[in-house]
Amino acid sequence: MVNIALLSLLVAQAAPPDLGSQADPFPTGSMNVGAPGGIPIGKLMLMPEIAVVVDGALGYTTLSTDQQELIAGPLPQHKAWPMLQEVELAFQATVDPYIRGDVFLTFSPQGVEVEEAYLKTLSLPWSLQIKAGQIYSPFGRTSQLHRHQWTFVDQPVSMQRLVGAEGLSGPGGDLSWLAPLPWFAEVHLDYQATRPGFDETVQQLTGVARLIQYFDLSDSATLGVGLSWALFQAEAPEQWKNLAGADLYFKFRDPTSRSSVVLQGELYGRQLSEQAFSEARWGGYGQAVWRIDRNWEVGGRYDNAPAPVAFGGGTQETWTALGTYYTSEFFRLRVQPSLVLLPEGQTGFQGLASFEFTIGAHAAHPF
Amino acid sequence: MSHLSTALSVAFLLAAFASPARAAVNVVTTTEGLAAVVREVGGDDVKVIALSRGVQDPHFVDANPSLAVKLRNADLLVDVGMDLEIGWLPPLVTQSRNAAIQPGGARRLTAGNFVSPMDLPTGPVDRSQGDIHPSGNPHFLTDPRRAVQVAAAIAGRLAEIDPGNAAHYRERLQAFQGKVAAAGKGWKERLAPFAGRSVITQHKTLTYLLDWSGLKAAGYMEPKQGVAPPPSHVASLVAVAKAAGVKGVLVENYYDRRPADQLRDLAGVKVIVIPGDVGGTKEASDWVSYVDVLVKALGQAVQ
Ligand SMILES: [Zn+2]
Repeated sequence: MVNIALLSLLVAQAAPPDLGSQADPFPTGSMNVGAPGGIPIGKLMLMPEIAVVVDGALGYTTLSTDQQELIAGPLPQHKAWPMLQEVELAFQATVDPYIRGDVFLTFSPQGVEVEEAYLKTLSLPWSLQIKAGQIYSPFGRTSQLHRHQWTFVDQPVSMQRLVGAEGLSGPGGDLSWLAPLPWFAEVHLDYQATRPGFDETVQQLTGVARLIQYFDLSDSATLGVGLSWALFQAEAPEQWKNLAGADLYFKFRDPTSRSSVVLQGELYGRQLSEQAFSEARWGGYGQAVWRIDRNWEVGGRYDNAPAPVAFGGGTQETWTALGTYYTSEFFRLRVQPSLVLLPEGQTGFQGLASFEFTIGAHAAHPF
Repeated sequence: MSHLSTALSVAFLLAAFASPARAAVNVVTTTEGLAAVVREVGGDDVKVIALSRGVQDPHFVDANPSLAVKLRNADLLVDVGMDLEIGWLPPLVTQSRNAAIQPGGARRLTAGNFVSPMDLPTGPVDRSQGDIHPSGNPHFLTDPRRAVQVAAAIAGRLAEIDPGNAAHYRERLQAFQGKVAAAGKGWKERLAPFAGRSVITQHKTLTYLLDWSGLKAAGYMEPKQGVAPPPSHVASLVAVAKAAGVKGVLVENYYDRRPADQLRDLAGVKVIVIPGDVGGTKEASDWVSYVDVLVKALGQAVQ
């Protein structure tokens, strides 16, 4: 970040001494303002804000690759495996008085990806806003988050299997409306090409609708309630597939302290076009996270997801614990053991230890 | 006669309806301190809400989407600037869809743009120095000189937004300037005998007020900005306190006071808990009473 104040110091030092005398027939006025030739580093102030986030981990699992199915980047069995999960590069700035632009590139073992690259309108009438480009679908809560916004080291298995390994994203546009109500109520309508969890090999035309509301229960407690629905059209118009989601969020934070408690849960249901409603697949998770103080956080998560395909049905339950240590807003260490319960009485253990750091621009605190 | 009384009652009714119909300017501020200054110059021509509470650490306010709703209908957003609200305000402003309060907008007033900053970095800057404020110290509103500058900027902008009441804003600004001058005289008299003495503060929140009053900060509980004091730093402050003759430590009530208590036990200094902003305690109900609480605390801390 270029320091405007420092810059003004430079300018002040560069200005010649004030020669002004009242008898001067040519008053200097603006003649003494600024450095001759202008400010050489002024153009640096037009650079977008740049931040880099690096995520690395050490993983261990007793599960075979088949048993892990769909979890992004399966871990080798019975080995303590080091990973550089992701390097995210963020560029953010206003484009002009009417639009801002945000670009997030990710570098991971899977390659280089445009995680998001979108414009966002700032001045549409009637509380409307358009976000367009490569975007996350406005579906659900956790599936829209970038890796560095996740509380846990990984995403819930139910979300990875039913929504998409990395959520739903792709090129398209999202029109949203902030309803003129005394509480926060936002409606999203989105049209995109995505690669959903049930078939990530082809892009599918996708329509998404979401209603998200927040209610301030008191100065310390906020409740968030969301409903999402996605329709996918694969090969033929009649082959629509449905994905529905409901999410609940509750945050309690005494405003005088850094400590908070967050309860969060989501439910997903997916019905493919050839399926009867009774054949729809369901899943979801519930989690509780306690930020103890500025440095420590602990949490737990229960997840219920369809079992890997190799089992031909059934469900997988995953119990996860989390311990986080923050040295500052820019660095955290996490330890996350999980117990995995698969059909046919199979069980497994998975452990992740991760670090994450941010350099560059100060990101917004996640809510 | 009855015609006259009918006409009169109609006139009264009209008057009764007409006065509340004149809409007050909706002002949203990021902090209660700024809200208090807006209240001084805006009076009953404005309606003010603050997005954070005076009991809250202004560096760590949550970007609660409910706050975007308050911003949506804002006729004027007043923020501190100098990166104080960088962790929470920008996403809310985008989410609000209020075009005029975007940075640089006609209805956005960043108070920091109207005062000269202190604690400017004079050399290289990076985060090994802590969670620094690289654009200068944003905790300037306790300084009577700068508070008056901010009030003048706010009054000027309110007069532009609501030209019908421009004279009111000008009058109230003058009244506020008078109030600050009178209170400031008392504060100066109270602290003048102690000029040059030093205190220790938690964060660099009192830099401007100390500068105004002729007092000094011998050190800070935070070893680096935004970093909690480890025992080793508290131990090192013992020598600092002794060398500078420090008699008191000031800690905002949203910070953990235990490290200051340790310093009290080791160095025999007083610990004085102070409000972090207007509304931080009951006594700090408006700008003058807030600074009054701080001046009293400083008076206690130096003797
Ligand atoms: Zn600060």
